[in-house]
Amino acid sequence: MAAKKAGPASLKLAAVLDLNEASNLHGKLVSMRGSDLRIDASGVERVGVQCAQVLLAGVKAWEEDKKSLLVEKASDAFQKTMQLIGINNQNLVAKEI
Amino acid sequence: MDMNEIKEIFFQECEEQLAELESGLLKLNDGDRDPETVNAVFRAVHSIKGGAGAFGLDDLVSFAHVFETTLDCVRSNKLEPTQDVLKVMLKSADVLADLVTASRDGGGVDESRSRSLVKELEALAHGELPSSSGHDAPKPAAKAAPAAAPAAKAELPKPSDDSGFQPIPFSFDGFGEDDEPVVEGSLYEVIFKPRRELYSKGNEAALLLRDLSRLGEMSINCDTDALPTLDKMDPEASYFSWKISIRTTRSEDDIRAVFEFAEWDCDLEVKFAEEASSNEELPMVPVPFDLSILDDSSSGEDERTGERGASEETVAAALSAAETASNVSRAARVAEKKESAAASAAAQNNAAAAAAGAGQTIRVDLDRVDRLINLVGELVINQAMLSQSVVENDATGTSAVNMGLEELQQLTREIQDSVMAIRAQPVKPVFQRMSRIVREVADMVGKSIRLVTEGENTEVDKTVIDKIAEPLTHMIRNAVDHGIESPEKREAAGKDPEGTIKLTAKHRSGRILIELADDGAGINRERVRQKAIDNDIIAADANLSDDEIDNLIFMAGFSTADKISDISGRGVGMDVVKRSIQALGGRISISSRPGYGSTFTMSLPLTLAVLDGMVVTVAGQTLVVPLTAIVETLQPEAAAIHSFGANQRLISIRNSFCPLVDVGRVLNYRATQANPVEGVALLVESEGGGQRALMVDAIQGQRQVVIKSLEANYTHVPGIAAATILGDGRVALILDVDAVVAASRGQSMKPEMSLAATG
Repeated sequence: MAAKKAGPASLKLAAVLDLNEASNLHGKLVSMRGSDLRIDASGVERVGVQCAQVLLAGVKAWEEDKKSLLVEKASDAFQKTMQLIGINNQNLVAKEI
Repeated sequence: MDMNEIKEIFFQECEEQLAELESGLLKLNDGDRDPETVNAVFRAVHSIKGGAGAFGLDDLVSFAHVFETTLDCVRSNKLEPTQDVLKVMLKSADVLADLVTASRDGGGVDESRSRSLVKELEALAHGELPSSSGHDAPKPAAKAAPAAAPAAKAELPKPSDDSGFQPIPFSFDGFGEDDEPVVEGSLYEVIFKPRRELYSKGNEAALLLRDLSRLGEMSINCDTDALPTLDKMDPEASYFSWKISIRTTRSEDDIRAVFEFAEWDCDLEVKFAEEASSNEELPMVPVPFDLSILDDSSSGEDERTGERGASEETVAAALSAAETASNVSRAARVAEKKESAAASAAAQNNAAAAAAGAGQTIRVDLDRVDRLINLVGELVINQAMLSQSVVENDATGTSAVNMGLEELQQLTREIQDSVMAIRAQPVKPVFQRMSRIVREVADMVGKSIRLVTEGENTEVDKTVIDKIAEPLTHMIRNAVDHGIESPEKREAAGKDPEGTIKLTAKHRSGRILIELADDGAGINRERVRQKAIDNDIIAADANLSDDEIDNLIFMAGFSTADKISDISGRGVGMDVVKRSIQALGGRISISSRPGYGSTFTMSLPLTLAVLDGMVVTVAGQTLVVPLTAIVETLQPEAAAIHSFGANQRLISIRNSFCPLVDVGRVLNYRATQANPVEGVALLVESEGGGQRALMVDAIQGQRQVVIKSLEANYTHVPGIAAATILGDGRVALILDVDAVVAASRGQSMKPEMSLAATG
């Protein structure tokens, strides 16, 4: 899962972001560091806290790198869960375009 | 433990809950207004609903929910449990049982029946539900069970989480509507720090938070300070913790209950906060009320669960059923936690049955018990052999050996008693099933019948219980269909239009006696006789006593029903009943009084494994007489013996006469009658209640014997109940006291043969 070096990379999140997906997602994010990232969360049906942790850590890492990381499209489930668990990071709860 | 095992346990528990439910409803029907009874009934339905939710048994959940709602009205005194109400409820209990069976074994349920009951139940619930007046026609709840029966779904109010048994229906009715209900109650502050284990055990903090949010109005602050940088983090560790303030009408315990299955894997603090709490300083995020999207997406998960791990499957299952956030439903979420769930469920049950003094129980495979019983049987025989050979070889009578043997004997005895006690079960479950059959059949034939049971706690061996159900069912159907007259006929005869069937169990002379009495018209002897003649069972000129005519109904191919009905009279008649009772080593007889009803009496052995017996000698043969039948033994004196009739003799005992039965003669061991003075008389009590003196040659001693079926190893022998192996390895026959007594009265031990012979 090599990141594209030119232009903003994009990442489509899996439908089920549970415990098993957390490591996977972590690996993807680590490999994509260094360039802007657009995250597509439109297909997400379920979000576990651990994936939320990884995503938030990703947001912080991107901030550190002075690159942009945005969730562009988010499914209802994704937004609701973020709201439920109290994550109000603007990058993660971006409005749907 | 995999999902199927858990499911199996759930179904076993369901059966217990259903029994509880039915007995509770019957108690209510009899006028019991104890709140604890209502609670027990409610709990039973609630537990079934909760468990069913966890396994995605939607039909079961939706029906149980409607049932529960109505029961809740009874519990909160909004609905008076009148006879009419209880009739609906008993029927609902039946349907619930059907749904459970259908869920377990597959197969269908009578949809129209359950639908009409759902309507009736809802009518009952709504008829007197003032509190939800604002929602006379509640919108389809956002979270009604997915794919529930449409009728049920359309009218379901939002299910309330009743795990605390303090339902506040209205606070959830507004779900999915624009005007949010005014949430009252007190403010709690919850600090929730999950640990890594919480996730690795398949639990999910988000779900816990969602459950929590359902309790009331919740604001949340997620503490993300512990989150390390991306490259240093462990994706499967736990970094987030939450500070939550929630305004709810529930108690602190209810809040804690949400975390019940995770409490060992997280740090949890629940504090009661004052009205104006210090939460202003926290940037709290209000949590949306409508979280239905989470449910929907998760229910879509179900189809895919097959390919994922078991723990996930449980999570998905729990998700789809999360609305029943009861103990049982959460039990499935974490498979490993099942035991604790069972424990808490058991604790609940215990609370309910505290009055009944129920203790802790375990479930054991019946095969294991049977193996144990067989082994103990062998042990008993072996012990008897050992002591016999010691006695024979040890002329000096060394006391140490003898004492040791005696202790061994006592121990074997205790072991045997304990093992037998494991298998002994009250007949209650069988009796309860009968009440349902009475209800259903009576409904079908348009009769009004009450089933009265007595002695349902009488214990009997499990095999006997299992095998008695079928013949009993058949007899009950017969009694309802043929025995009891229609209400009009009853009224015309000056009887209560409501018929009564009485089912009694009691211990009598070491056997269990089950009586089934109806207050119907009794046997129509003329018709029975005519039918028997038509069917060539007896000769037209046969001279039969009333008793013999009554017993004709046990003959093969005998049915008096004029027309074949749906309920009974399908050709399998009382002869089948009789055969199955006989196969159990039991007997069945009928007595009937025209106009007053009939009574069937079944006598069955308590256990099919061991017996305390008196070993006696008759004409050189060793026989065992069941000790339970023996009242006393005596040495007859010549002066006490009186002749009576041609070859009957009586013995006078303490100024009363008692027929003397020569066992050797009855069993054809000898051709002539023995001299009573040379033998010993055993005073026995027969099933009829009368006493007889059985005459034997000598008493060898008293011993516990292991019953070996004669039918299984040889064939049935009239007058002999079974066989056993004695200490010296010889086979001895166990006397069937009642059959011998009956034979002595001039009846043959095989009435069928004698009847045939008369023709």
